[in-house]
Amino acid sequence: MRFAKWMLFSKTPKPIVHIIATTALIISVCASLWTGEADAKTTGSATWSDIEARGINQDVYFHAWGGDPQINRYIQWVAKQVKQQYQINLHHVKLTDTSEAVSRVLAEKSAGNNTQGQVDLVWINGENFAAMAKHQLLAPNWVAQLPNFSLTDPDNNPAMTRDFGVPTQGMEAPWGKAALTFYYDTLATQSPPQTLQQLSEWVKQHPGRFTYPKPPDFLATSFLKYALIVLNNAQPEAIKNRLYQPATAQSQALLLPVLWQYLDELHPYLWRKGRHFMSSGMELRRLIGDGELALAFTFSAAEIPAAVARFELPDSSRSYRMQDGSLSNVHFIAIPYNAAHANSAKLLVNFLLSPQAQAKKQQPSVWGDISVLATSKLTAEQQVWFNPSAQSHPSATIANQAISPALSEPDPSWSKVIAKLWLQRYGVMQ
Amino acid sequence: MSTVARLFNPIVRISPFIMMALLVIPVMGGLIGVMLPAFGWIPALDQTSLSLNGFSQLWQTPGIGHMALLGIGTSFVSTFLAFLITILILASYFTSPWLGYIQRLLGPILVIPHAAAAIAIGFLITPSGMISRLVSPWLSGWNAPPDWLYPHDAMGLSIILGLTLKELPFLLLMALGALAQPDLGQTLRAQHKVALSLGYCPITAFFKVVLPSLYPHLRLPIFAVMAYASASVEIPLILGPNNPPTLAVAIMQWFHDVDLSLRIKASAGAILQIQLTLFVLACWWLLEGLVCQFAKSMLTNGRRDYGGAIIQKITHVITALMMAIIGLALVGMLLWSFAGFWHFPDALPQQVVMLHWQTALQQMHTPLIDTVLIALCATALAISLTLLTLEAEQHSGKSLSLLGSVLIYLPLLIPSIAFLFGLVWLLEQVNSQHTFINVVLAHLLFVLPYVFLSLASSYRRLDPRFSIVAASLGATKAKIFFRIKLPMLIGPIFIACALGLAISFSQYLPTLLTGGGRINTITTEAVALANGGSRRISAVYALMQMILPALGFLLAWLLPKMITKMLSKRHQQG
Repeated sequence: MRFAKWMLFSKTPKPIVHIIATTALIISVCASLWTGEADAKTTGSATWSDIEARGINQDVYFHAWGGDPQINRYIQWVAKQVKQQYQINLHHVKLTDTSEAVSRVLAEKSAGNNTQGQVDLVWINGENFAAMAKHQLLAPNWVAQLPNFSLTDPDNNPAMTRDFGVPTQGMEAPWGKAALTFYYDTLATQSPPQTLQQLSEWVKQHPGRFTYPKPPDFLATSFLKYALIVLNNAQPEAIKNRLYQPATAQSQALLLPVLWQYLDELHPYLWRKGRHFMSSGMELRRLIGDGELALAFTFSAAEIPAAVARFELPDSSRSYRMQDGSLSNVHFIAIPYNAAHANSAKLLVNFLLSPQAQAKKQQPSVWGDISVLATSKLTAEQQVWFNPSAQSHPSATIANQAISPALSEPDPSWSKVIAKLWLQRYGVMQ
Repeated sequence: MSTVARLFNPIVRISPFIMMALLVIPVMGGLIGVMLPAFGWIPALDQTSLSLNGFSQLWQTPGIGHMALLGIGTSFVSTFLAFLITILILASYFTSPWLGYIQRLLGPILVIPHAAAAIAIGFLITPSGMISRLVSPWLSGWNAPPDWLYPHDAMGLSIILGLTLKELPFLLLMALGALAQPDLGQTLRAQHKVALSLGYCPITAFFKVVLPSLYPHLRLPIFAVMAYASASVEIPLILGPNNPPTLAVAIMQWFHDVDLSLRIKASAGAILQIQLTLFVLACWWLLEGLVCQFAKSMLTNGRRDYGGAIIQKITHVITALMMAIIGLALVGMLLWSFAGFWHFPDALPQQVVMLHWQTALQQMHTPLIDTVLIALCATALAISLTLLTLEAEQHSGKSLSLLGSVLIYLPLLIPSIAFLFGLVWLLEQVNSQHTFINVVLAHLLFVLPYVFLSLASSYRRLDPRFSIVAASLGATKAKIFFRIKLPMLIGPIFIACALGLAISFSQYLPTLLTGGGRINTITTEAVALANGGSRRISAVYALMQMILPALGFLLAWLLPKMITKMLSKRHQQG
């Protein structure tokens, strides 16, 4: 039913296109006035209809992490939609690690390839964004051109223009939101830990049944950041706020010791007695399925019921959020400075920010990634699309969702510092 | 035909040079492309002054010594084990029909890609794996998987197991290939018989009579295997430790790190990796010299028996164990690919579902087409170049110089991780848009040597009298090549094709790097999935990795028969 409605969208009659284009133009002009920034050098003062005219009927190479079949399927659905609307051929380049795309753009820059880059669009956030921004590998000031960007209500929603606290400067558009969610096998444990302190008691009662991946894996640093924030919760505000500024030697000395102390106590009770940490966060799920672990965590909660349906997690899996807080962040999509098909990429991003694409993405059966659109900006009819459908498996319902406070991501420099110091302390077995 | 005939001789004349260029330029260019960043020259990072920062960063890496040792240790031990078991099998079954059976059983293992083998072995030996399930809970008492650090153990024992199982078939088949040469094989078998009649125990006879003449034929294959093992990434990545990993895996991770300045360290690491590989090869060479020194007197001391019966029993056990490991790993993988939920310690899954095959096959078609296309292009190029080069040998009447033979082996002897990153940089300089061609060229580096090795002996052994007769009847060289030599070599050519395809199917690092992630093959996907969340999908991909080369060999076995039939029919009608 809902799907049929989207199909209507893709067959919009011509006059409506004009209305939309004109509205888009007005919005984009307002938006660029709001950001107070001139347009990027390549597009000059291109209007949205110029971009549409130049962007149709091309290939777009979207470099995005390809480790989750649900996400890959969603991207395939997007490919069908943009093929219908703009004759764009979307190619999903499945990365095992986003840094592959970063180094590719860097290699192109070093070879002097400044216009024919192979990466048209890349899915990034946090550290990868900070690295690409630092080396000037991203096209600046294009996000405000997108008609649909205003639906995220950036004026009242600073999270849409800040990536791990770093201003995005129009280099990347928000795509979705996620929060750290824990899940467990009820056959292995009835009462999973509800706070970080309870976790250290729980592992002593269930030795070898919990672990976290090895930094710099994204899930690993996420778990460590969650621990870092919670462990420093009792500190004075002035010290706590240093987490949201670039890490200095002084702030590290103030904030990190509690983390190492906690980990030193935790490690002997972890899987493999903390002598081996898996390289990739995806393996956590497999180890729950193998019965080796009883408790794990993920950033995409919707993968849990989906994995149960694929027989990869036991039917007895349940999910919840920690009562002392859930690390939450926004993930983004960016266009490299040398993308060969920048205009088509913008059309694609604008589609990804459309209510129908965001609503589809939020369905637990599709991806379960939370929408970045502001409800206030949507029509009543569009708001209905975001209502959850009937739940299939109990693990699709996340316990404590209402009471778990959202913890913002620390400054990206902290991820790097934590990963580096962790590897120095625990990375080499003595 | 006339234009072909006119162009044939010049083409033949230049093809050895084209072949050498295609092998040498990428490898050497790649080495230069990795040397420059190693000494701090990366214009992209605005670093254009030469320095030793990369190397000082490398020395400061925690656990760098451990990484290097792990690479050296696992490659040396696994090659030694593979060599030892090869020799034991040859010695024990030298005169028995079992040798042929083992050869037939191990042949297919040879073409299983490293990644698939690693995935299969991983399924077998993890605490929640097949072996553990078979003995639980009735024997072990485990109701939950034990918390053992194996695989991924710090000593690299699981890497050694994986590498040994992969290297052994290669060495054994190389040895049997050498013994299949009529002059060598017949002589050695005859000498072995003489030794037996002089009262030598079969095993002693093999060691004293056959091995000294056979070993020189195994030296290069051993070096190739060892060089590969010391710098391979698939098996250590899937089975090895990560605290720290082997140097080769670490280099790959540094190259892909978010922190772009790590590429300098990675390039320095690649230089170190070359030295490590050379060191391992030197160690083997030294060991060889020592064994020669000490064993020389033993050859002529007249002792007839060194506990041959016990050695024979040990060999039986090792052979049976290997077959069991290989069989169980395959069964385990098949089960995983059809498994519903599979509780530990059940030995069988609760239900059998087709879901994973359906899901995987839906995602697979693009990688599958790419895999096959790349392999076909690389193999077609390799076969053409090889045949023309071998023809050029016969035109000039002398075989390839030693330098030529070494150059053909070059991509196999230099750790690929060292020159591939430089090659990517080099390709960037030349063209950046033809990813597919880049990948094919990179695959060619590894396909060509194997295809050449597989075809050279058959081609050189062709009875020259056919060509002489044809020439005396006025046939041109081109006509002789197409109408006489190729039809006579149809079997070996198809086998070489199948081998080339199999080598191409299994390439991970070259595809990943030169393809820039744009070209996904079954192998790159399988490695990506091996450390992912789904055992089941991973099993499907690994099985696919095995099915593809198997199909290639099946076709190589069937097609020549059909084509020969067709040709003979045409002859009868004509």
